[in-house]
Amino acid sequence: MHDWASIGPQIFNGLVLGAFYAIVAIGLSLIMNLTGTINMAHGSFMTLAGYLAYTMVLRGTSFWFALIAAPLICVIVGIAVERTLVRPLYKREPFYSLLMTFGLSLMAEEAYRLIWGPNGVPFSPPGALAGATSVGFMTFPAFRIFIAVVLIVAIAALALFLTRTRFGLRLRAAVQDTEMIAALGTNTQVLYAVNFGLGIFLAGIAGVLAAGMLGLAPTSGNALLMPAFVTVIIGGMGSLFGSIVGGLLIGLTISLTTLFVPAASEVSMYVLMAVVLMIRPRGLFGEEGIFG
Amino acid sequence: MASDAAMLRAENVTKAFGGVRAVDDVSLAVREGTIHALIGPNGAGKTTFFNAISGFTLPDRGRVTFRGADLTRAPNWKRIAAGMGRTFQTPSIFPELTVDENVRLGVRAHAKQAFRLRTPGGEAKRAVDARVGELLGFVNLTAQRDRPLAELAHGSQRLCEIAMSLSTDPVLVLLDEPMAGLAEAETERIMTVIRDLRARLGLTVLFVEHNMRVVLNVAEKITVLDRGKLLAEGTPAEISANQAVREAYLGSEVIARV
Amino acid sequence: MSARGELIGAAIVIAVLLFAPFLSPLIHLDVSIVSEVLVMAVAAMSVNLLLGYTGLPAFGNAAYFGLGAYGAALSVKYFQVDFVAAVVIGTLAAFAGALILGPFLLRRRGIYFGLLSIAFGQVFYFIAYRYTDVTGGEDGMNFPRPPVALAHVQVKETAFYYVALAVFVAALIAFRAVVRSPFGRTLVAIRQNEVRVRYLGLNSDRFIFVALLIASAMAGISGALFGLLINFAYPLQLDWHQSGDFVLMMILGGGGTLWGPLLGSFIYVLGKDIVSTITPLWQIFIGGLFVACVLGFPRGILGTIEQRLRRAPGTFTADDVNAAFDPNAPVEVGRGV
Repeated sequence: MHDWASIGPQIFNGLVLGAFYAIVAIGLSLIMNLTGTINMAHGSFMTLAGYLAYTMVLRGTSFWFALIAAPLICVIVGIAVERTLVRPLYKREPFYSLLMTFGLSLMAEEAYRLIWGPNGVPFSPPGALAGATSVGFMTFPAFRIFIAVVLIVAIAALALFLTRTRFGLRLRAAVQDTEMIAALGTNTQVLYAVNFGLGIFLAGIAGVLAAGMLGLAPTSGNALLMPAFVTVIIGGMGSLFGSIVGGLLIGLTISLTTLFVPAASEVSMYVLMAVVLMIRPRGLFGEEGIFG
Repeated sequence: MASDAAMLRAENVTKAFGGVRAVDDVSLAVREGTIHALIGPNGAGKTTFFNAISGFTLPDRGRVTFRGADLTRAPNWKRIAAGMGRTFQTPSIFPELTVDENVRLGVRAHAKQAFRLRTPGGEAKRAVDARVGELLGFVNLTAQRDRPLAELAHGSQRLCEIAMSLSTDPVLVLLDEPMAGLAEAETERIMTVIRDLRARLGLTVLFVEHNMRVVLNVAEKITVLDRGKLLAEGTPAEISANQAVREAYLGSEVIARV
Repeated sequence: MSARGELIGAAIVIAVLLFAPFLSPLIHLDVSIVSEVLVMAVAAMSVNLLLGYTGLPAFGNAAYFGLGAYGAALSVKYFQVDFVAAVVIGTLAAFAGALILGPFLLRRRGIYFGLLSIAFGQVFYFIAYRYTDVTGGEDGMNFPRPPVALAHVQVKETAFYYVALAVFVAALIAFRAVVRSPFGRTLVAIRQNEVRVRYLGLNSDRFIFVALLIASAMAGISGALFGLLINFAYPLQLDWHQSGDFVLMMILGGGGTLWGPLLGSFIYVLGKDIVSTITPLWQIFIGGLFVACVLGFPRGILGTIEQRLRRAPGTFTADDVNAAFDPNAPVEVGRGV
């Protein structure tokens, strides 16, 4: 039987993994909810952030600086993409944005291969975060604790932004009724751009952290993309809280099946998604009507 | 009971969306061979009720009986096969197909020729062609039959949709706001068509409409819904004299002017 | 295009394809690559049927493609079947997959259909990935190309090419027959307005299920042939990126057209196998082409040409349709009423 010393850390790993899925899913959701855009290039932005951070650290900046700067650069790229490529598709069905961003992800993957090489690059967390702490008979890597903290702070900051700031309220109102908001004078073009940028910023943070935890290669981001979509489905389209719950649920499911039934670990999340889609397609906390 | 000849009977139909009862315990009987109107202010639940009858949504409670058969939980395509036809508030058509093709699909479907690898020739084809020609003639669209339906004016699209609803040989036709968005001349056109449905084709008609002039001129029986509940039922004369109905519509000007 | 013009065009293409094994060495092209073009075209055709004609987001056809490949591979490796049997078994495996998955897929439409398709594909992918003892896991499984039992012949590259060509032509003829039939016309109607199809008394689920079965058989035979072509079956053949490649081929060539899949496959396969050896910018180029297509030419190369040819004054395109549905648009009196 498994020793109980490994279950605790495994649950912790599952929660950290889940937090990753949650934050990527939230970014995806933000973009999807407002404009119906399905961003298959979300993973590419994550990878970009990882590579940018890697390059910055290589050039001598601190990890902490890169952690903020890389996502910000991604936001600039993201807004440029939104204005030129995503905006023309707002009037069309979501499938078009899915296809277009898929093409974009192909281009990005190759570009990364050309610039940084086809194999992974090493990206280790700074010395301060290496090592582990012990709690009783269980050990937890310090970097993962750090990741958990950052992700929780990011999600909390987002929640505050959406509920306490004027812009955040406008954003939420626009998701409900874009026409009304436009009629009341809000510049919807700016809203769309900022919303997209926000989603990319979250992806960027996740990307830098994932690079440190899971490694960095041209296809890194895509590995987190599918689970993020599954999270959005299970948690419910249109519900950011659902993304959090869904993400944690999936993270735990994967890590625990890895422990007990390793062969089924990747499949488990897809089985879960298929079940949810059959029984309650709007997800655990989703609203009826988004995408039917 | 007078409702022996009820072709369509809805009993205690209730449908709620997220806590709001769009249709609340509504019962209605449509007698064979009548033109029956369903009216009510915005949000009264008319389209939801239509949807429950035609199978677009399933009611939470209640029963829908059509020609004696219980169709409450039947899928929509089965109800059409059982003899219903329906149009929608926004015309539900095939915009990229020609007028002819729009009508032809239903005729083929009714003749059991749709789920086939080969288009039957000879007698079967002639029968389909004849029927399509008949339907196009009924709505006066024969001249436009080879044009993509998207090219035609709104009123023509509605007429085509009515022809489509007839293509499966229904005995009951459900029209959801057939006059919506039409100019005066076109409204007259559709009014004549609705009357002809009964007069020339012997069909039973249940239609939703906001245009009170049309309703009072065309319908023989009127059911009024308000906020999901049945408010009143009766002949045009009875309804226009009904005080509660007047009050339900904002101000009695609407009815008084007619 | 008139029926005569269509026939002439088809004859020219088929003629070129017939002589491809003799023409290709002249441009330093290995005949097996042209085989790959034809095989992939059949897979792109399967996407065309579901997405181009029926309007379903078919992002899961790799599942059937991969089942075809693994069906062929497993039957050869463990049961030493011959070439023909391998192809048949692969196709049947894919067909069986659709029979089982179909009822689940039918319950949803739109993006949920797409995601369910992807999910099922991923389940197969991870099964192939994990079941290392049987399938060879991540590294895939090598398997020899068996001979054709009845004829006692090895299937060398040129012979394989003609097999692929025969399958492609057969698939094309079948595809054409299907889309021009009443069944196919109903699929097109479903793409434009599934609700109305149901309100004409037709059970759209039945039509979609049969379309799914046909598509799975096409993707399956394509997968079986591809596996036999490269003597290799590997998990990525089941992955959704493979599905994405098929969609890409269809969109580039032109969804909703007969020859679009072949054109798209031609561009994609030749680009991938040839151009990529010259320049590493291949994937950027194809990705960029795809993006440009989605933004500007969603009908693809052949679709856009077809549209331009048909365009006469007063002809509406799909995007103009939205204007026709605006209830507040001014009604033109005297035109068509």
